[in-house]
Amino acid sequence: MSLFDSDFLKKLEYLSLVSRRVFRGRLLAQRRTKQLGGGIEFADHREYAAGDDLRYLDWNVYAKFGDLLLKRFQEEEDLHVYILLDASKSMDCGTPNKFDYARRIAAALAYIALADLDRVSIMAYADKPLDVLPLTRGKDRVLSILKFLENTKTAGAATDLATVAKSLVNRAQRTGLVVIISDLYDQAGFRAGVDLLRHRRFEPHVIQIHTVEEANPTFLGDIELDEVETGQRRKITVTERKLKQYNQLFHEFLTSIETYCKTYSLSCTRSTTDLPFDELIMRMMRASGIQS
Amino acid sequence: MLEFASPMLAWWAALTVPIFLIYIIKVRLRRRPVSTLLFWNQLFDEKKPRAWWQQLRHWLSLLLQLAFVLLLVGALIDPLWSWQKNSQRRIVLIVDNSASMKATEASGITRLQSAKEIAKGLARSLRPGDEMSLVSSGGQSVVHVGLTNHARLLIDGIMELPETDAPSALLPAIAIAERLLKDRVERSEIIVLTDGCIEDFETIKNNPLVKIYGVGKPRENTAITRYQVRRSVMDSVGYQVLIEVTNSGLEEVKTKLELSLEDNLVDVVPITLKAGESQTRILDHTSATGGRLVAKLDSKDALSTDNSAISILPQRAPLPITLVTKGSLFLKSVLESMPLVELTITEMAPEAAPKGGLLVLDRIIPEKLPRGRLLIVDPQNSTDMMTVGESLEQPLVARVEKDSPLTQHIRLDNVLFPGAKQITFTRPVESLVRDPLDSPMLARMKRPGGDLWILTCNLEQSDLPLRIAFPVLIKNAIEWFQGNEGQLRPVVPTGTLAAFAIPEGDQAEVKDEAKDADASSDKPSPTQGQEASSTESANDSAVAVESAAPTQLRRDLHVSSPSGKSLAMSAEGDQALIGPILECGLWTVAPASDVKTETKEGAKEMATDAKVDYRWAFASNLTNRSESDLKPRGELLTADSLSVVSLGGRAIWFYLAMLGLLLVTTEWWLYQRRVVG
Repeated sequence: MSLFDSDFLKKLEYLSLVSRRVFRGRLLAQRRTKQLGGGIEFADHREYAAGDDLRYLDWNVYAKFGDLLLKRFQEEEDLHVYILLDASKSMDCGTPNKFDYARRIAAALAYIALADLDRVSIMAYADKPLDVLPLTRGKDRVLSILKFLENTKTAGAATDLATVAKSLVNRAQRTGLVVIISDLYDQAGFRAGVDLLRHRRFEPHVIQIHTVEEANPTFLGDIELDEVETGQRRKITVTERKLKQYNQLFHEFLTSIETYCKTYSLSCTRSTTDLPFDELIMRMMRASGIQS
Repeated sequence: MLEFASPMLAWWAALTVPIFLIYIIKVRLRRRPVSTLLFWNQLFDEKKPRAWWQQLRHWLSLLLQLAFVLLLVGALIDPLWSWQKNSQRRIVLIVDNSASMKATEASGITRLQSAKEIAKGLARSLRPGDEMSLVSSGGQSVVHVGLTNHARLLIDGIMELPETDAPSALLPAIAIAERLLKDRVERSEIIVLTDGCIEDFETIKNNPLVKIYGVGKPRENTAITRYQVRRSVMDSVGYQVLIEVTNSGLEEVKTKLELSLEDNLVDVVPITLKAGESQTRILDHTSATGGRLVAKLDSKDALSTDNSAISILPQRAPLPITLVTKGSLFLKSVLESMPLVELTITEMAPEAAPKGGLLVLDRIIPEKLPRGRLLIVDPQNSTDMMTVGESLEQPLVARVEKDSPLTQHIRLDNVLFPGAKQITFTRPVESLVRDPLDSPMLARMKRPGGDLWILTCNLEQSDLPLRIAFPVLIKNAIEWFQGNEGQLRPVVPTGTLAAFAIPEGDQAEVKDEAKDADASSDKPSPTQGQEASSTESANDSAVAVESAAPTQLRRDLHVSSPSGKSLAMSAEGDQALIGPILECGLWTVAPASDVKTETKEGAKEMATDAKVDYRWAFASNLTNRSESDLKPRGELLTADSLSVVSLGGRAIWFYLAMLGLLLVTTEWWLYQRRVVG
């Protein structure tokens, strides 16, 4: 079965409609930039300074109060959406496959963004950017995005989001929304990368994916664990007590991600791969601030 | 030194080899891909992987598995100590289930229950080659299970051992056990589980085959050890109760003895008994009705069976007597003076004697003698049963039959019977008093239709009526006609056979039913008229008398024990031997056909609900000093030592198997679980 079959495309269309009708594009697109200038929507007043364009002077205020105040308007411009897709080998795990799930989410978000006339760029990464789809715009580019995602494979060494973020910052023409889709098992790199994006006025949005088995492993006894990303192996004896400790540790890891995101007002979405991707998108829409 | 019952099965130990090989394969651990080792590394960071003890724990797992296999093999080969190997025993286990074994111990369980537990442990410890038999000795010796190696059968037999109220019959039980073991005495033994409340203890102990193991501790007990009731010889409605109460404990006891007749309290006697003391009381009371007389000790001791005793006080029923006379003052006076006699005087002889009563014919004798029981005094004319001849030449009493109940307590030597006549009988008679020429002066005759008692003596001319012998003679005659009814109903001690006398008036019914059953003849309808019934009754009587002749009919009876157990039996003649009696209380007997008929009609609880006809019942009591004394008569082996012989009630293989099971469970718990609970 193809990764993006006709059912998938139908779901994308549905999500796009829902995004427009219910959430009125507030998920990604039609966002106002923080730049004030030549727009049409009044934003604020400020005192007149020499050299200011007299066309924007508020004559009514001057007539009433004698104060020289300049009208400020909010500028509108296209939103740049950068999707950072974790394509490390740790994503190629579990049932359903984490990487497939991540690609579907990336495709859905890209589709919605394109439908809202935003610009989308996708970067598959591991220890460094593996493959990049440059900024593109228009709904007709959907197929190329799907093709890009379909051709993307897991590769590389251990995940290093910091390096990838640095690369993105350097190559991005403008700031914008950065959606990071990853299992976030690279904790140190993840924080450094997100911090860099924040500092460079990007808006990071974290989508954390893990499998049910990763959260609640069920194996017991003597076992040899094989880390798919690094090939490192470890022989351990898993007891019920150890399992409980693992569950606690994993829960602490999830909590630390949430705490970090809350600290810096970042939106964060967490999901297991058994949740249908469209359900996850809907959840993200609701979490974006507008409740249907 | 250790030996094995089945050494060939040691080949199963070869199973350890594949287990070892499988284990080696198992050491190559399962491999599982994971996204990250991040968390596992954090969990196991402080411990280096594959630490020495981790290596060891795998070896421990192997060790546990091998130990499990070896223990199972050990159980299979069935290890025996050399003394066990040489003692493949043949055991006859005698469990004393006598009355004293019903005594309750301080722990609340009876001695018999304790004995059963010990016996079960012994049965479970049987080894291949051992054989055991189960015999009980309560009241009678019963082989419940023959010599067998089947432990389950023995345990079932032990569980079903009943309690009895009978004294112990250990000697007969040991005799049976010896017969069971006679073909091979070596390595055979007789194990007796008893409380030691047995007679002939020393005799049993000296038997080299017998080992007596004790059950229970000595207990205090007060008991009724003798109990009989009889009608008073002086007072026709009076009765005497003989009671003996024994304190077999070691402390003085103050108690009360309550006597009740048909649940109505008759007497309460306070009794104080020193340790080991017995007191006998004879209590006199009166009652014409009779019934169930119960003596009960107000005592709560270890054994309740002997705290009460029951007996049947025979009823004194009025006896209808019709006197046909033209004015015999002596006869009238004698009969009137007898209590419970309903006397009717007439000058015309009726066709039959009053029902259940007696017809006295004084000189007036019809040609055809009336039906029923007749007492004829001074016959003047011949009848169909006898021919009256000339007067005797020497009407002097020459010989008196001393053994007859009709002539007991009288002396008639050299007494003249003036007017006595020579009488020739058509049927054989028993001459009780004879003249010097051997002519009968007093005789009795059995005849169809009712027995006869004939005295040939002119009372007006004789001095016989003036003698004390005369009323005694008449009284004897009346009592003979009545049979033993209303006299003494001896109480049957448990453990003995009860000789039950079938009530005389009902023998006819029983016999008639037996005859009916044999001949399949038509039975008359109960709706026929009174006259017809009367005639049939007479015919029944005739059958009864004929049946009393040497050709005795066989009767089917139904016996019910006090606890409601039923027993079908057959009896010949007018007496049934029932037993041995193993329960205290009131036993009831009924013709089997009655029981069947009632069952057909749907009367389910005939025996319990119907008022008991005490003529068809007898009482049974323990009344046994030996059983009531709850102290052993000698030194007994402790039952604990019996448990040691059987290693706690199980064979070694059982413990090996259990240990193996424990090891495999531990191994599974530590290593093999794969599912999170």
